[in-house]
Amino acid sequence: MAFEALFKPIQIGSQTIRNRVVSTAHAEVYATDGGMTTERYVKYYEEKAKGGCGLCICGGSSIVSIDSPQGWWSSVNLSTDRIIPHFQNLADAVHKHGGKIMIQITHMGRRSRWDGHDWSTLVSPSGIREPVHRSTCKTIEVEEIHRIIYDFTQAARRAKEGGLDGVELSAVHQHLIDQFWSPRVNKRTDEWGGSFENRMRFGMEVLKAVRAEVGDDFVVGMRITGDEFHPDGLTHEDMKQIAAYYDATGMVDYFGVVGSGCDTHNTLANVIPNMSFPPEPFLHLASGIKEVVNVPVIHAQNIKDPNQAQRILEGGYVDLVGMTRAHIADPHLIAKIKMGQIDQIKQCVGANYCIDRQYQGLDVLCIQNAATSREYMGLPHIIEKSEGPKRKVVVVGGGPAGMEAARVCAERGHEVTLFEANEQIGGQITIASKAPQRDQIAGITRWYQLELNRLEVDQRLGTRADEATIQDLRPDVVILATGGQPFLTQVPEWGYDADTDKSLVVSTWDILEGRVAPGKNVLIFDTICEFSGVSAADYLADKGSRVEIVTDDIKPGAAVGGTTFPTYYRSLYEKEVIMTSDLALHKVYREGDSLVAVLENEYTGALEERVVDQVVVENGVRPDEALYYSLKERSRNKGQTDIEALYAIKPQPCLTDGGEGFALFRLGDCTAPRNTHAAIYDALRLCKDF
Amino acid sequence: MLDTLLPILLFSALALAAIGAVRRVRLWRQGRPSSVPVIKGLMQVPRRYLVDLHHVVERDKYISHTHVATAGGFVLAALLAIVVHGLGLDSAILAWVLLAATTSMFIGSLLVAKRRSPPPSRLSKGPWMRLPKSLMAFSIGMFVVTLPTAGILPEGVFQSGVGWFAALVLAAVIVWGLGEMFFGMTWGGPMKHAFAGALHLAFHRRPERFSDATGGEHRSTGLKALKLDDESAKLGVEKPADFTWNQLLGFDACVQCGRCEAMCPAFAAGQPLNPKKLIQDMVVGMAGGSDAHYAGSPYPGKPVGEHKGDPHGPIVAREGTTLVDAETLWSCTTCRACVEECPMMIEHVDAIVDMRRFLTLEHGNTPNKGAEVLDNLIATDNPGGFDPDSRLHWAADLNLPLMSDKKEAEVLLWLGDGVFDMRNQRTLRAFISVLRAAQVDFAVLGTEERDSGDVARRLGDEATFQSLARRNIQTLSRYRFSRIVTCDPHSFHVLKNEYGELGTPQTPADYHVQHHSTYINELVVAGRLTFKAWKGGSVTYHDPCYLGRYNGEYEAPRDVLRALGIEVKEMARSGYRSRCCGGGGGAPITDIPGKQRIPDMRMEDVRETGADLVAVGCPQCTAMLEGVVEPRAAIKDIAELVADALIIETAAEKSPQRQEAPATPRPALEVTP
Repeated sequence: MAFEALFKPIQIGSQTIRNRVVSTAHAEVYATDGGMTTERYVKYYEEKAKGGCGLCICGGSSIVSIDSPQGWWSSVNLSTDRIIPHFQNLADAVHKHGGKIMIQITHMGRRSRWDGHDWSTLVSPSGIREPVHRSTCKTIEVEEIHRIIYDFTQAARRAKEGGLDGVELSAVHQHLIDQFWSPRVNKRTDEWGGSFENRMRFGMEVLKAVRAEVGDDFVVGMRITGDEFHPDGLTHEDMKQIAAYYDATGMVDYFGVVGSGCDTHNTLANVIPNMSFPPEPFLHLASGIKEVVNVPVIHAQNIKDPNQAQRILEGGYVDLVGMTRAHIADPHLIAKIKMGQIDQIKQCVGANYCIDRQYQGLDVLCIQNAATSREYMGLPHIIEKSEGPKRKVVVVGGGPAGMEAARVCAERGHEVTLFEANEQIGGQITIASKAPQRDQIAGITRWYQLELNRLEVDQRLGTRADEATIQDLRPDVVILATGGQPFLTQVPEWGYDADTDKSLVVSTWDILEGRVAPGKNVLIFDTICEFSGVSAADYLADKGSRVEIVTDDIKPGAAVGGTTFPTYYRSLYEKEVIMTSDLALHKVYREGDSLVAVLENEYTGALEERVVDQVVVENGVRPDEALYYSLKERSRNKGQTDIEALYAIKPQPCLTDGGEGFALFRLGDCTAPRNTHAAIYDALRLCKDF
Repeated sequence: MLDTLLPILLFSALALAAIGAVRRVRLWRQGRPSSVPVIKGLMQVPRRYLVDLHHVVERDKYISHTHVATAGGFVLAALLAIVVHGLGLDSAILAWVLLAATTSMFIGSLLVAKRRSPPPSRLSKGPWMRLPKSLMAFSIGMFVVTLPTAGILPEGVFQSGVGWFAALVLAAVIVWGLGEMFFGMTWGGPMKHAFAGALHLAFHRRPERFSDATGGEHRSTGLKALKLDDESAKLGVEKPADFTWNQLLGFDACVQCGRCEAMCPAFAAGQPLNPKKLIQDMVVGMAGGSDAHYAGSPYPGKPVGEHKGDPHGPIVAREGTTLVDAETLWSCTTCRACVEECPMMIEHVDAIVDMRRFLTLEHGNTPNKGAEVLDNLIATDNPGGFDPDSRLHWAADLNLPLMSDKKEAEVLLWLGDGVFDMRNQRTLRAFISVLRAAQVDFAVLGTEERDSGDVARRLGDEATFQSLARRNIQTLSRYRFSRIVTCDPHSFHVLKNEYGELGTPQTPADYHVQHHSTYINELVVAGRLTFKAWKGGSVTYHDPCYLGRYNGEYEAPRDVLRALGIEVKEMARSGYRSRCCGGGGGAPITDIPGKQRIPDMRMEDVRETGADLVAVGCPQCTAMLEGVVEPRAAIKDIAELVADALIIETAAEKSPQRQEAPATPRPALEVTP
């Protein structure tokens, strides 16, 4: 049997886990009503259990005390008995499908924000400020230590009474327990700091108290770092000592191991490795911990592929693999392995849209799977065949919106024709994948390509659809997802011309697609501050260009998320790319063989000039609306999407209202430039009822 | 003159026939002993012929009517000819009856001739092509010669002038007729089938397969156990003489009608097997000689005339060729389509397994993956070589009740080796959800269960089969249950039909075993399951060989499908004529190449019905049919279809809602793969 190691059950404490795959604790940002696990939360985990996931550890950073604020990330609140019945719903939903569910519990200490909600005074062993959240805190007092230990026991009791299978004590990510561990932030000289035993004391007291509260028939695990990656932090050898120390109590049922600390922007990027990282970059750290403990070890971090998981487990590096983002991308991962549908697994590409939203306090969403965490709204992971009429659907444009629309319509059983002007589908994803370290984003397209082939969608590649070709197909539904073009005409002084030889500026697309050769001295003006600008800078620097990236925003790449901009910065700094903020591109003119870029300081109005041989401008996308306006009048709905129906995930009335002609819809950037998730979400919610 | 000549001719023919019979019996008696009740067996012949054999022949109305006319006419005519012309009893009444009998025989012979002009490919040619003419010769000759006795022609009409000449011609015709019908019957002519066939019915090695006056199902499909305790005894069949004498007799009864050939999936796939040729080769081996005179379809890819054998020479050569090549024996899927179709009640599968036993047990020569599978079975009690302790890994989340805990249960659920296969695990999970929906008291053996031994036995490894079976019997004897239910027709068959022989007084092995479709049907009839309306497309049903032909269960699966609201679109070959999926008898393991794959042909049968889905009831069939490249119909086990349609009241719906937090609405049931 294939994947034998993956499907070998394992005992964790009192619980038998049906396979070796875990959805590890992550902050979902779905709890409502003051931290309760309500419908959205339950359905999100039920879907994973239904899809075959062995163990879900939910509620990353779920709090045990009210001075560890939960509101910023809508995390789960175990400081009140109010949570118990909600846990019962959650446990029932997961158990019904044979899964197990535990919850991470923690006090975050200084790792939070104080400027809202209860305006809590944060606590930490020595009152040292935390940089990622810019949070100051007080030095914790012994009375508070004992209160929090008690809060841990009560939180564990609530989890148990709610029918969950266990709790995971978070001693990772610089929460209170590992704040005590780490000499970097624990400077105490009393019995809670200094020596190894003293630094261990708080965590040990929590563990003992929790175990005493819940007894032996309830799992208590610990999540720890494998190495903080700080010169003054906990090293791998320290962590082996710590793990062995706690393991020796016999009170810990498993260890989850995470590579890297995360109390700086740069280390945070390691914790949830994006697509620039190799597979399982920190497995060796987890394996090191496994050497010294006698209980199962779980490790997540860039394990996305079943074969990779099987290889890790077969090699005996760890006992269970965390495939958390893999499950956000496809909660039916395990089921698809078992159904022999490995090619149908939507594999995580490491875009980190999920976690980068979370760090902004936004709900976790998947860049490529709009159904994830929207199960409660009726958005399906598996599209059922329509029982209604079979429709002829024409989709124009094979970017994210068009690919999703074509897929969903085909799954519904309709006859779908997809036009794509380029020789391959993918749209802007294809462009994005050209940058160094960004190639894996093309995995989104790869999956769509496999699905569209499987669903036998008629794909007319290299074919630009016009009014006549569309009319010839006599469609019932026309979906335009034609995207747009780089918006370089907004400021005439930039000197853009459609003729590349005459144009003074080129777009990031021109650079990434290789249509324009890299210059020697390049100025990139990026007012958008998302991926394209820094990707173009990285690309050009990689090709040997001397690059300065300038923005009028607060910093280049400002809109790139918290786990992704650090890896861009690592690369850009290493390649000596100059990053300049607060300057807008005022004008470009030619002087001899060179170009002069005139930059204007956002705050003083002062002008300065750069003499370069190439100016690249990133100013976003201008929608391509021509085809839409040529078809609009002939359509039965005049191109209008009923947004009430759309937002309510209801069928579009124009499909059943009758009327002459085809129904016409626009999706993605050809309406207004947004992002990949927006395009896919709109396509799914629009087409799921066709 | 004829008055003198006829008795001489008749009695000479009879005498020669008697000599031939003795010689023929001697050929059979080369085989190993096998005790039979001689008188009782002979007494059974009329019933076995008129009821059991006729039941098979009757499936082809044309030949059935033809045979009644011809054979009935002949038997009567032959008896009366002896009385009237042999003993000279001058009775006009008898003569009239004789005329009627020969007329019937003549009409029959015309029909025989018609069927052979031209003959379909499954029929053997050669001497069989002259048979209709011989039948005509006998019937015409006897008719004409009887006309004077009946008073239609004047007495003495053949005694003068033209009469003399006519009498000479007539005598020649009668000699021809008598030669074929009497002499040929025991000296190896086509009419041999009547002589050997009648005795085969009398001394058949599976008397239990024939009906009796009490009615009821009579079926005998379990392989007979090989005695392994005699260390000097040869295991299996090496030489024709190693068959029992009544097996040899059975081979000799073959009429070469080729019904087996027409049904054989391996033959159709172009694998080197033709059951008819195999039986004829056994006859060649028994008598000694070459297969050059065989006049039917050869083994695909193997020209006739290159093989020869003798009663005491090996059937399969270790090197070179003798009578049969090993790959012919390993092509068989043991689907029993040949046995089911054979109007002479020949047991092809028994013979093939007998010969496989020798190759496996004495030569250790099981081809391709065969040896590996057998090694795995010996080492791990499962064919895949999986860790035996991992037998329940797939069900870690199901909390299956174990017999070792419960000790007794209404249903012992026999899981089979499908537990190691992810596809079959879905079927098992579905069936378990059905059992739970019906609140059945069941338990499994878990890691105490072993492979049933089916594959080992079909591959000829009787020793491994018996070892597995005895240990399973030991395990089963520790628990109390009223029935065994399994989703695997192969396990079902061996547990039901092949374990019994290995039971002991302390550990009897006569279980009440049911296929899951049968059991589900009982649950449906008892009103213990309720279903949603069927919303899928059209469905056909594939009969697993080991459920259908081996055990006669054709209706329960169809009843279950009907209960789901499905109208089954039957394939042209369904029920007892269902085409094998290619997965039985270890055939996927020995993997003998042909021109095409058997499951491809089966899915073509499915395609002809236009069905979107084929319902199956066997893990082998599921695996084989799902292995066919798409586009093709979807394949689902009956248990999956039932589980998908279940309506279940969940515990939560029955109990009052919990306070404070609103419960999330839940679907009736989901089967997690």
